[in-house]
Amino acid sequence: MIEANDLTKDYGNVTAVNRVSFSVTEGELFGLLGPNGSGKTTMIRMLTGQVRPTSGSARVMGLDAAKDPIGVRGLVGIIPEQETPPSFLTAEEYLRFVARIRNLDSVDERCDHWFDLLEFGDKRDVLCKDLSRGTRQKLMFSQAFLHEPRLALIDEPLINLDPIMQRTVKDFLRSYVRDGGTVFFSTHILEIAEEICDRIGIIHNGRLLHAGQIEDLVGSGRHLESFFLDLVKGDTGA
Amino acid sequence: MPDLFIAMVKEEWRIHSTIFGSLGFALFPAVVAIFAFLGSLTLPLFADVLPYAVVALLAHILFLLMGVMVGSFGLMGREFMNRRFGQASLVAYASRSLPISERRIFAAFLVKDTVYYILLYVLPFAAGFTAATPFISLDPGYGLLAFVSLALAFLLGLSAACFLSTLYAHSVALLAGTVAALAVLALAALRLGATAVPAVLPPYAFFLDPAAEPLALSLLLILVPAAVSVIFVTFEYPDRTKRFANSLDPFAERVRTLGSAHFIAKDALDLLRSEGGAGKVIFSFLLPLGLVWVCLQVLIQFIPGIDPLVVFAVLLGVISATIYNWLTEFDSFSSYAFLPVEVSEVIDAKLKSYGLANLLPATVLVLAAATAGGAGTFLPALATFLSVSAYTLAVTVYLTGLYPNVMLYSAGVFVRYLLAISPALLLLIFASIIDPYYAFLSLLLIAPAALLLSRGRTKWQAWEMPGY
Repeated sequence: MIEANDLTKDYGNVTAVNRVSFSVTEGELFGLLGPNGSGKTTMIRMLTGQVRPTSGSARVMGLDAAKDPIGVRGLVGIIPEQETPPSFLTAEEYLRFVARIRNLDSVDERCDHWFDLLEFGDKRDVLCKDLSRGTRQKLMFSQAFLHEPRLALIDEPLINLDPIMQRTVKDFLRSYVRDGGTVFFSTHILEIAEEICDRIGIIHNGRLLHAGQIEDLVGSGRHLESFFLDLVKGDTGA
Repeated sequence: MPDLFIAMVKEEWRIHSTIFGSLGFALFPAVVAIFAFLGSLTLPLFADVLPYAVVALLAHILFLLMGVMVGSFGLMGREFMNRRFGQASLVAYASRSLPISERRIFAAFLVKDTVYYILLYVLPFAAGFTAATPFISLDPGYGLLAFVSLALAFLLGLSAACFLSTLYAHSVALLAGTVAALAVLALAALRLGATAVPAVLPPYAFFLDPAAEPLALSLLLILVPAAVSVIFVTFEYPDRTKRFANSLDPFAERVRTLGSAHFIAKDALDLLRSEGGAGKVIFSFLLPLGLVWVCLQVLIQFIPGIDPLVVFAVLLGVISATIYNWLTEFDSFSSYAFLPVEVSEVIDAKLKSYGLANLLPATVLVLAAATAGGAGTFLPALATFLSVSAYTLAVTVYLTGLYPNVMLYSAGVFVRYLLAISPALLLLIFASIIDPYYAFLSLLLIAPAALLLSRGRTKWQAWEMPGY
């Protein structure tokens, strides 16, 4: 589903992502872990064609992300970390707006499904600017899955959600993957990755330090936290 | 208190310099002074149309409104700040996390606004006016008088805004009742006598007659509401959550034939539901149009052969292009970057929204032609309005994409904008003085407009959001 080859992104003198290669196969839940500013968000933005790589390439669902970004974004679902829904549309209007952009049918049913699943139907007629951060995240989650994509790329999926909703979202992601979907998400919260990921990558200073199965880590008797800290603290950036 | 005051002054400076650039903002008082000086020099030319007393009244109303705006922005401008800078965190909100009382913060806030904006606006304005007085046969003492009375007008607006904000924070009903009572009092005062306007605007009364009574009344009307605001201040505003039935689909259905219907519907809802509603668009462009119309009436006396309708159409075309600024106020490319939407598609949708909104200035032109008896030159005026509007819009789109409200404050972009537009406008105005029908030459602007729009789409399609 995702093939990244030597992906590099420079912003002026800063190298945000440095020659990163990895792949994610269908039906996998892949977590990209890293401290703040390690390059996770830039990675997702390159994979979804939001920014062009300085060098290297990425193929997402068979498409070149740099050459066909609209094609990629049409196929996948994306939840950006910082973006919020438009201030002066209601929650329902925003989902309908996204549905029209994606040329979806059965819009009523799709909207109702997400309002029910994430339990925010009572906010459907509230302007997005008046929604709490948690509800905005639910809305962004809903827009990403509204067209039932086979691949979702999510930047910090559980941010601003309460523990009950975090459980709901984690359960949804697991069932989504069981049904053949693929998830690529970034986070700096290790417990989430340890709980739901099949495979993880650890990125620091723009370089991918590790990629492997969570099972292998657990099988070797190591905790993800100590493994992560050893790896990141031992990384001299060479 | 001094530390708090200094921190707030620094914060205020940084907010403005972030938007306009440090040098640009530092030069702002000089620009105000120069404009006041030049504007004052032209006063004798307009004396028949605008007597000095009316100009003075307009200046006092302007500063009163500025005070209201500053007071409102300081207390309720969080939505704007969040849109511009992400999550805003101002010193004014520090009582939530630091051991400082809301009263103390608010008192420092009021002192800061008083000092800061009097130095920024009132003093340079009065200085510019004072510098002009020898050239327009006025006593320079009027400059000092204007400084005091305009400062009072500004503070009256600031104090009123803070007072009303405090009422609002406690109870919407209390606010509504007070506003209604004040409106009744003002109307009653206006009905009482011929000198009614000075009676409801004491700083202006002080300017007309610098006596102790209007000064004391002004100070009373400033200090009492300000003190009440400080004593009863609270930053806990009532829940203003608004609910709306789905209007996106019905609106989109109405403009379906234009294509991009949901983008156009979103633009309309953004404008209608944001602060001020559609009124802010109308007000922001009808006010300068009114001034243009007054100026044209004066110009007719000095330039024989000028056709006011054609010249009005030229300026109407430029001013109407500012509607694009409103249409882009609530959008950015990043809002669509995670959806299958081309940047050029968003720009095209904005152009369609603009085309619809431009019916308003077109109506203004028709009304101007009907009321001013300019039916004879209506066709060249209409062609001029449409061409200039399209050209100005194309220049704006090419130079600023979806960010005219930010990028036009960049000195480089603004100079290019002026250089692209001014020569064409001046040529059109001069040509129309020779013969109003030469205004049809404006249709030549359509070709460069189309080229600029095409290049603008390509340019902004390739543009990449900064940051990581």
